[in-house]
Amino acid sequence: MSNSLTSSHSLTLAERGRLSTPPARRRVVAITGAAQFLGTNLVGLLEEDPNVRKVVCLDTEAPTTAGAKSRVYNVSLTEGLAEERMAEILSAEAVDVVVHLAFLDSPTHSAAFAHELESVGTMHVLNACRRTKVHKVVMRSQTLLYGAHATNPNYLSEKHPLRARRSEPFFADKIEAENEVLRFGRPGQGRIATVLRIAPMLGPTVDNFITRYLSHRLTPTVLGFDPLWQFVHEADAVRALRLAALYDAPGVFNIVGDGVLPLRTVIKLAGRTTLPLPRSLASGITTALWLTQLAEAPPAFFDYLQYICVADGALARRELGFEPLYTSREALIDYANAQHLRDVRLLSETPA
Amino acid sequence: MKRKDKRPKRDSSANQPARSQPRPNKGDRRADGRGTAPNSARAEAKSPSNPKRKARRTGRSREPAPARHEPGSARREPAPPRREPGSARLEDRRIHTPEAHFDAASAPSAVLDERTAVDQAGLSDTGIDSEEAFELGIGARIVPPTTQYGEAFESMPPPVQERRTGDVEAQIRALEARLDGLIRQRHFSDPSAETVSGDPVPERRAELVKTDSSPPATVEQPEPPASDFISRKWGRSALRSRSEEFDDFGLDPSFEQRVKPLVEFLYRSYFRTTAEGVDNVPAEGRCIVVANHSGALPLDGLMLRAALRIEHKQKRDLRWLAEDFVYYLPFAGVFMNRVGAVRACPENAERLLEKEGIVGVFPEGVHGIKKLFQERYRLQRFGRGGYIRLCLRMRAPIVPCAIIGAEESSPLLYRLEGLTELLGLPYFPITPTFPFLGPAGLLPAPTKWRMRFGEPINLDNYGPEAADDHVLVGRLSERVRSSIQSMLDSGLRERRSVWFG
Repeated sequence: MSNSLTSSHSLTLAERGRLSTPPARRRVVAITGAAQFLGTNLVGLLEEDPNVRKVVCLDTEAPTTAGAKSRVYNVSLTEGLAEERMAEILSAEAVDVVVHLAFLDSPTHSAAFAHELESVGTMHVLNACRRTKVHKVVMRSQTLLYGAHATNPNYLSEKHPLRARRSEPFFADKIEAENEVLRFGRPGQGRIATVLRIAPMLGPTVDNFITRYLSHRLTPTVLGFDPLWQFVHEADAVRALRLAALYDAPGVFNIVGDGVLPLRTVIKLAGRTTLPLPRSLASGITTALWLTQLAEAPPAFFDYLQYICVADGALARRELGFEPLYTSREALIDYANAQHLRDVRLLSETPA
Repeated sequence: MKRKDKRPKRDSSANQPARSQPRPNKGDRRADGRGTAPNSARAEAKSPSNPKRKARRTGRSREPAPARHEPGSARREPAPPRREPGSARLEDRRIHTPEAHFDAASAPSAVLDERTAVDQAGLSDTGIDSEEAFELGIGARIVPPTTQYGEAFESMPPPVQERRTGDVEAQIRALEARLDGLIRQRHFSDPSAETVSGDPVPERRAELVKTDSSPPATVEQPEPPASDFISRKWGRSALRSRSEEFDDFGLDPSFEQRVKPLVEFLYRSYFRTTAEGVDNVPAEGRCIVVANHSGALPLDGLMLRAALRIEHKQKRDLRWLAEDFVYYLPFAGVFMNRVGAVRACPENAERLLEKEGIVGVFPEGVHGIKKLFQERYRLQRFGRGGYIRLCLRMRAPIVPCAIIGAEESSPLLYRLEGLTELLGLPYFPITPTFPFLGPAGLLPAPTKWRMRFGEPINLDNYGPEAADDHVLVGRLSERVRSSIQSMLDSGLRERRSVWFG
């Protein structure tokens, strides 16, 4: 798992171009949600980074990659006293940057918990930062928040409003959290807020509702629609988080792989069979399956099987110096290879 | 074709990799397959290829097993001529799988004969030894099916010679044997990775092989163009027929290639389109082509693209901007997208122009295709002049274009606006043929089309900041509109017949 990550550790040329000045002093990076997929890998990547002095891992369990530089704290953002505890830790460890990754990757049935974690939890984190004079927060967000609409331009820029369905708590909580972070970083307060809107992640070790969707032998699609999709490789997502943590680039950035693929081609590349259903029928079935906890996602997600939601990564390339190592297609094939081995039980390790 | 049906099954079992299989099972299955086809003619026919193959194999094996027979000497014995290579093969396998020994002991001689046949047909030895495959381990599984191993084709036996015996039955046998050889080559010539990889799901494999009943290919053909088997087993190689990369806006070059004959038929034979002044479209660089819009089934964008493809010296690639409602429709949106339409919005148009492309614009928009028959060739209002703003910002010249004939090809008698919510359409068209003739009624009438491209209008003397000057934008838009309207009027005056031009 860590092979692809460690090899991407050194900066590419494009990354060096603008960001030739390393941070003034070695940083102390705190990571919330450090035991989740992105957190674990980011801890592993920062462990090796000479620009990082300490990695403060904040989660309810310890990340498997925690090493000599790591300090592991048991913090639950859903508790009432989370803010005090966070503030204590941040001041005790003299944290420079908080990388806020405590978000759910996949839609969940426990909407109340998700709301506490994502929306209220973000508030706790930001308040703790305000109290302890932590001047920089990096937040992980998703390009899915732009929403899938027939009226989307083919490449959504960061200026585009977030139009995902607010009725779906998965989106509503994340949009709220993102707004709070942007409010934290409003100019004139000497603070930096970086929001990375990451495209759906694929790769050999990641597990989210998209990889689960693509792992069915029969993959449902909406009859008569074939929208363009884009992905980002998990290693690229972790690299982008590292860049954002170590270099100061305030603002919102789309983190996407190059190129787009129509959904049918995606499913074919993953080695699956499409099952085209009329939208009304598919929504009915999915509602039933979602209520019985058999579906990965509620029916609102059919929008993404119907309309385009593809973001433009030019700004991250220019301002953040982020150059993806994998195209969308390569990320998908990398995922499909590992999934194929998992299908035939040659690869026993379960994805994170 | 009884024989043809069962042969693949046997091949598949004989060709199982030397790992992780329940051995005794295999022996049984092989014996079953064997019992029905003892064919001396075939065995004889195969024998010429034998010595060469033996030499190759022994020469190439990396670690000569001490237990292995001397293959050359074994072959010289007359009595069990087919047994020896098979057993050598078995011991060969025993090096890495101890179970193989059990198999060798329990299998009847028929099994060994089977192995020989397989061996001679060049199946078990396609380029990579089983040792090698074993070393490759899991990685061997993900060797892409397109990989060609250099030696895979060399190790095929030469085509079997027919024999003149005079006996009709013998001739038939010989022909059958030859056919079998060809089928086998066909099966195993392309996915050479198959022999390398261990297949952990033998049952599934067996049934997949069985389904391949395509006719034998000629020997010269290195690889069959398309194979059911390959697309079933390795779903993603079936993508070779799909284009490797889609462009940013969803144009699918291979799909367009397939639709091309239809588009060219429509352009040349059906509408008998003539294009005048195509050279007014610049040979290179960005440009916006502005045209009148029409038709219950808007084909004018597609024809405009075809016109520049076919008539323009540089075969310019025009992408036209399609109205939003198209993208809400099932099938239509995807089809339009794959053949070159782009959703009409400033971001997309800017992106296209930044790549020095040509953008086709129908500023009338939905109002253009909503025009009733009696309003034909009367240009509707040109939106809010967004295309002028685009020109000013991107510094692109405008080429006005009048399309004559399109507005009669699907005349709109009436539009039902009450159904819009229900259907997601801007209106429900009533034409002389639709909906009375069903979907066939949407077919456009074969009118004669004429496209006239006017002199390019250059807006370079205005700076990009002029895009914010609403009065100027309105004036420029009106200028473009009137130039297209006058081209339409003069074209209509010259036209004698709707059908023949």
